Order: sequence, then C-alpha cells, then structure tokens
Amino acid sequence: MRLTVNGQPVETNAPPGQLLIDLLRADLGLTGTKEACSVGVCGACTVLLDGRMVASCLALAAQAEGADVVTVEGLADDERLDPIQEAFLERGGLQCGICTPGQLVAARSLLNANPAPSEDDAKRWMMGNLCRCTGYYQILEAIAAASQGEA
Amino acid sequence: MADYVEIGMPTPRVDGVAKVTGAARYVADQPIPGALSGALVHSTRSHARIVEIDTAEARALPGVHAVITGEDVGHYLYGRMIKDIPVLARGVVRYSGERVAAVAAETEEIARHAADLIEVTYEELPAVLDLDAALAPDAPVLHPDLNSYPGMRPLDEPSNAYRWTVDNRGDLDAGFAEADIIVEGVYETQRHHQAYLEPHASVVSFEDGRAHVWTNTKAPQNIRDDLAATVGISRDEIVLHHSHIGGDFGGKGTPMDLAVCYFLAQAAGRPVRMVADYIEEFMAGMPRHSTRTRLRTGVMRDGTIRAHHVQFFVNSGAYAGYKPAGVIGGAPRAAGPYHIPNTRIEAVHVYTNIVPGGHMRAPGSPQAVFALESHLDEVAGRLGMDPFEFRMRNLIDDGEETAWGQHFEHVRVKETLEAAADAAGYAEPRAPLVGRGIAIGDHGSGGGIGNAEVALEPGGRVVLGTAIFDQGSGTHTTLQQVVAEELRAPLHRIELQVWDTDGTVDDSGIGGSRASRVNTNVAYQAAQDARRKLVQLVAERLGEPEAAITLDGDEIRVEGREEVLRWPELLVEWEERVVGRAYIEDREPVRVTGFVAQVAEVEVDPETGELRVLGLTTAHDVGRVLNPVGHQGQINGGVVQGLGYALMEELAIEDGRVTTLSFGDYKIPTSFDIPELRTVLLESEDGVGPYAIKGIGETPNVPVAAAIANAVADAVGVRIADLPLTSEKVYRALADEASRSSRADAPESTE
Repeated sequence: MRLTVNGQPVETNAPPGQLLIDLLRADLGLTGTKEACSVGVCGACTVLLDGRMVASCLALAAQAEGADVVTVEGLADDERLDPIQEAFLERGGLQCGICTPGQLVAARSLLNANPAPSEDDAKRWMMGNLCRCTGYYQILEAIAAASQGEA
Repeated sequence: MADYVEIGMPTPRVDGVAKVTGAARYVADQPIPGALSGALVHSTRSHARIVEIDTAEARALPGVHAVITGEDVGHYLYGRMIKDIPVLARGVVRYSGERVAAVAAETEEIARHAADLIEVTYEELPAVLDLDAALAPDAPVLHPDLNSYPGMRPLDEPSNAYRWTVDNRGDLDAGFAEADIIVEGVYETQRHHQAYLEPHASVVSFEDGRAHVWTNTKAPQNIRDDLAATVGISRDEIVLHHSHIGGDFGGKGTPMDLAVCYFLAQAAGRPVRMVADYIEEFMAGMPRHSTRTRLRTGVMRDGTIRAHHVQFFVNSGAYAGYKPAGVIGGAPRAAGPYHIPNTRIEAVHVYTNIVPGGHMRAPGSPQAVFALESHLDEVAGRLGMDPFEFRMRNLIDDGEETAWGQHFEHVRVKETLEAAADAAGYAEPRAPLVGRGIAIGDHGSGGGIGNAEVALEPGGRVVLGTAIFDQGSGTHTTLQQVVAEELRAPLHRIELQVWDTDGTVDDSGIGGSRASRVNTNVAYQAAQDARRKLVQLVAERLGEPEAAITLDGDEIRVEGREEVLRWPELLVEWEERVVGRAYIEDREPVRVTGFVAQVAEVEVDPETGELRVLGLTTAHDVGRVLNPVGHQGQINGGVVQGLGYALMEELAIEDGRVTTLSFGDYKIPTSFDIPELRTVLLESEDGVGPYAIKGIGETPNVPVAAAIANAVADAVGVRIADLPLTSEKVYRALADEASRSSRADAPESTE
C-alpha cells in the first residue's frame, strides 16, 4: 500500500491487522509517536490522518492507505520548529515528554481548526490527551501563546 | 540577593528540542537488533499454592525461544531494603497479578499468545485481602519465613504486621488526663497509581561478556546493583545505559520486570525487550499504599493541643521489597509541624494478599496529612474555633521542634499559612454551599550520593557529565544552569553528557527531593573545581602565582599584565583540557524542609453531592528558585496529581483483583478537570546548598485532599473521612445527615 507520511511518499506491505502505530514505529522507525495506554484513552499516540486526529494505537495501518499521515516528526519544517513546538519549549508545556508528541499533534490540529481558541476551547479539545507531569496549565499557556504568535 | 545571571532565570529544558521533535529515545524506542519480545503470565489467584505449571504448549509454539518459571530462576529474592519479592513466584502466589512465568518470542503477539497457553494449576489458600482480615488473631500468615528475609527486622512470632513501631514523646497519658476535650477520628486512603504515561520497559542484551541493560529507572546505579544481587552476578558484569524516562512520580525507581528480562535473555541467548502494557501496570505495578489512620487528640478549651496519638496502618500488599525503607514514612506527618508536648506515633505495616505498594511522590505524606489536617478541622469544630486560628495557635515557630521531635532550620510554616489564606481570601464571606478548607504539609530535601564532572574543552565547549537520568522533573536543566552560572558561560555551550553506569561507582540518582540538596551542590562543586584547575594550569604555564590570576567568564586576567587572555583559545594553543570533578556523600539527617499551605474553595450541589473545586491556592516556602518554568511545572503537576487523589483516582480492588485496569476506568485529571490555581512563593535566603534552595517536587501533592475535604465540610457540614471524595460519598453523607436531623427533630413519642 501507498501513503504519505510527513510529506514523504511511503510504500509498505502492512500485514492484515497491523496497527498504524506499529507501522509508524516498527516499520518506518518513527518512534516519536508513543504508545502508553494501548486502548485509545490517553492520546500519547495521536497522529493526524488526512488532517484528523486519530489514536494510532487503535487505527489499522490499512486505514492509512492513500492517506496523508502527520506525526510529531513532521511538525517542524526542516530545522525550523512549528510555533506550537516553540511555545511548548518556552512555556514549560512538557516535562518527561512521553505525552508531548500527542499533545503537540493535538494542539496543532486545534490551531488548524481554530486559530484563536479560548481557554475553554483549548481545555475541551485537549481533554483526550492525558499528561501526568504538567497539570496542563503550561500546555494551555503554550497553546495561547502560539495562537497569539508569542512563542 | 546575590547577583546571578542564570540562576533564577526561566530556562527551557535542555532536552526540550529532542522531546518536541520526537527525537528523544525512551527504552521502548531503543533500536536493539535481533531483540525478542518478552511477555508475562500473572497469577489469577490472591493466595494459592502452585501445583503445576504446564508450559509444553507454549514451548511448542513456533517463534517461542524461551519459557521460564520460578523453578528456572531459583530462589532469588529482590528488594531495596527488605528482600522478599521472588523474581517469579515459586511454590506460592501471594497476590492476583504476581509474576508466575515468562516467555520470549520473535514478536510481542507470539509472546503474549504463548503466555496465554501456559496452564497454571493452583490450590487455593485462605487470603487476607484487607487490613482487618490480615490483623485478625487467626489470620493466615502470608510470609511464615519472613525472619529469613534479608533486611527484615526479626519478629518473635511471624505475623502479617511485619513492622510495628512506637515512638513516644512526653507523657501521653498525662497529656490526655489534663485535656479538656478529647477528639477521635479514623481516616482512610485508597491505593493511588503513579500513572506515569510510559509503562515500565526493559531491554537486556549480552555482549562482550556483559549484560547491557536499558530500563526506565531514575536510580540507575541502585538498579544495576539490585539486578546484580538478584541474579547473582557482580555489578561489574552489568552496564545500564541511558534512556529518557516517561514520568516517574516515585514509580521509576523499581526494577519491575528487569530481572525477568535478564533471565529470558539468558535462556533465549538473544536480546529481549519487555514493555509492560497498562493493564499490567495497574494490576502489578507498585502504587501508593492505602492506609487507615486513627487519631486521638487532647486539647484545652483555649485551643492548645496537649496530647496526640497516631496509629498509622499501612496496607503493604503482598511484599515489602520496594518501599523506601522496607516501610514507608508518613506516620510522623500525622502529628505534624505543631507544638504538642505529648505524642505517641505508631506505624504498622501489614502484609495482605493484594498488589504490593511502592514509592509515590512524598511516600506516606499525603495519607498522613489527609488524616491529620482533616482531623484538626474536626477538633477546631469541637472547640468552636476557626480552623485557621486553631492552626496558628499550635503551629511551631522557628527553633521549635515538630510534634514528632524533629528540629528544622528556618521554619516558616505560619508565614506560609498566612500567605495562602491571604491570597485565597480565606476570611472573606462565602456564598451559600461554598466552602473553604486549609491544609498544611512539608517535605524535606533528602541526602545521598552525587557525582558531577565539568570539562573545559579547547575552543570553549563545556561538557557537564552526570550520572543522573532526568525522569522529567528537569534536573538536567538546573544542572546546566548551575554550570553556566559558575563559569559565566552561555547555556548553549554547556553540553550535557549522561553517563551509563560505568561512568561512576555510586550515585543515588533521583528521589526524595535529593536533586535540590545533592545534585545541584555537586554540579556547583565540579564547576568550582574546573575553575580552580584552570587557574592552576594558567599559573603553571605562565609562571605566575595563582593569586595573580582572575577568571571572568572566558576571560583571564593576570595581575601586572595588560593583555586579556581567553581560556577557549588558550586550551587550543596548549592542547589541554581541564576537568573538574566532584563527589558528595551526604548522609546527614534532613535539616531543611519546605512547607506548603493550601486553601481549596469548593461548591457542593446538595441534590446530587456533586462537588466542584472553584479554586486552589498553594503557598510554598521555597528559598531561592533555580528555574521558574520548571519550578512552577512541579507545583502545577503536583497539585493536579493531588486533585486526582482527592476526587477521582482509586485503584479499585474486588475479591483481591484490581478492577480499574485502564485509563478508562482509572480516571486521572484531564485538561477539563483543572481548577483555577493561584501560586504564592515565599522566597528567602534560607535553604540548602550554594544557592539556598528547597525541594519542590514532592510537596505540592501532599495537602490537596485534606484541603478539599475541609472545604466540603465547611460548605455543607459533612465530613468525608475516606478518599477519594466522590459525589456519591458526599451525597450519602448528606442523606445520612438529613435523616439523623429529621429523627432528632421528630416530636417525642407521647406513648
């Protein structure tokens, strides 16, 4: 099957039943996407599939056939970080970093859908991305800063 | 205040770019060619004799390379202080979830399938699933051979209560005898999972006659030593490599499946990777202990406390191996930073047939503080005093010892409480059904062993060598700040080099708020040593006395010479590098603690019991803050973890089995659950080490539950004495209260 991952065309033989996260991590070596809960609850494995957030630990690799997949590795433009990545760095939106790839993909998806989210919008959108380190405050600050171009 | 350029500056994480781009490698991400996958078989019984383990079908499955049981790994027991945990159960299982057998196979799917094919035949034994059952006089004893365990304090008669300590100060009976009022209470807390989002993972690979290990541990030297002792080899035969760590909160100092992984790799003759799934984390991780605390307090009518008796019962679970000292602390915190002349503090650790507890953020303190701070509001209520006034009357001043007999330096607990109350508007009028509650906690900065190396390289690179594996709390960044500060070099020139376990001999790693006391200090000393050695080198080369040489950042001035030299260029010219080193072994008792006072404001819906936290105020006595971004992050994350403990998190157990086996059932706070948070920092010149700092990682989660419980009582007059504070409990308590008062109001019988 063919798909696009972070802008690059990819051709792969996904065995039946293979999960998208295993295609990304094991076959393509994109280990930035993390597996934590394995049941689609925690959001660590969030990637964009044709612009929509999906839990790659639940999605089948086959669902990505012909699709455009964006992972955390695809957020930066060459050496230039995405403003949301800059904002997470500056505002302390990450600590241990294990949920961060999913948080960043979710936050990027929020800003794509709503460039000026209110705090309440951001809280609702990010509800499916658990973080145990930050208590979310600095993640929300980072989203606000990125949306206001302050990163 | 000293004139710092890096200390106190908001500083982005040194590992931040790697983490936001997905480049940072965790254990599960390590590329290990040829690695097999490991999987475990867990006990389905709480207490049973293992009659037979049939592994034939599993061994016959194509792709399976090794199957091991307790018989294959021998009688090795592991643990930090008390060694009582079998690598794999042998002869008997003591909790549902215990590791019984393991498989290594080509893929994770095959390994898990093979594990499912292993048939274990059990003969059930009577189980003790809670404190009451375990403490009953005729209870079956879980560990009849406990006196043979290394590190166990021998008992006259084996008992489930494997450690019962009693500490007396003053004359408790006399204190109660003179008291005007005696108040008693019992407070219960639940099992609380650390819920780091990265499950435990290990890789073991034999190469060049040594075991190469990757595992998500924050105490690599200790875990290397534990593994060596557990599998019976010398520690020199193991090297533990660095990976990023995906959250800790106390849980990542435990070897978990590492020894199993070692034996699988040995049996298979191939590298093996084991990554727990989250079902295993909830079923067989090592959560915060559940406790029951009985408190009895004698007070005078003027509000002074005369006597206080603590009985702190810890449901240890099936094993003592991975607790801070074979037991958890905490019991003293149920007496608190109060002036009480007569106290008795009993701590009782009890084996039960459930998942064993381990370390979690300020082990023992949230449990004890929930009990004490809830209870003090009850006492204040009986006296008709405001809880704030009652505490101010009894809190210690600087120079006084705590109710458990410890003397801290620079005590500022009253100021901390006042700051919290002021910021929260504690004394302002409350709307109906709105309540405010206060609670106080503290946690000292622990000692230990630390190492650092600061190398000045030709051209100006500075390489900071450390044995610390940063588990997320930001220690690497503060160490980088320290070196930048002392060398007056920009942060980006301080390159971090994290050693594997060959890098040094002993190092305590992260834990017990040690980073603030030991690691910051050792990095400071290594930087100073580098400066000293640079001066020596310059003096020697130039034939000048050392006293004539001054360093200012990269610049070197020599008395009596016009020219300004620069060390980055001099080292190139001389083809030299300068290496500063430091080692600290600090075993002194804790003398400095950081106090925290919190005020919660809640609104309760009396129809449903639903409680909403309107705001939390957290005030901290902090000394100097090294990195405001990281410091605030510790506070935020700690408070929200405390909020989860207070309101929603409970590792539920039914018939001995954990039933909350996913994040769908075990709810932790989401972005939508967080209240408005106000932080107050009381900075000062009093703290530990060269910058006078205090630990912040552990305190913020300590008083949250008590503050919220007290706010609920203030709002609607019901006391919830067992965590978590669910709406159901509030609703039931309100219903009970209503039926009690309607009975009391009923007209007297005219019979």
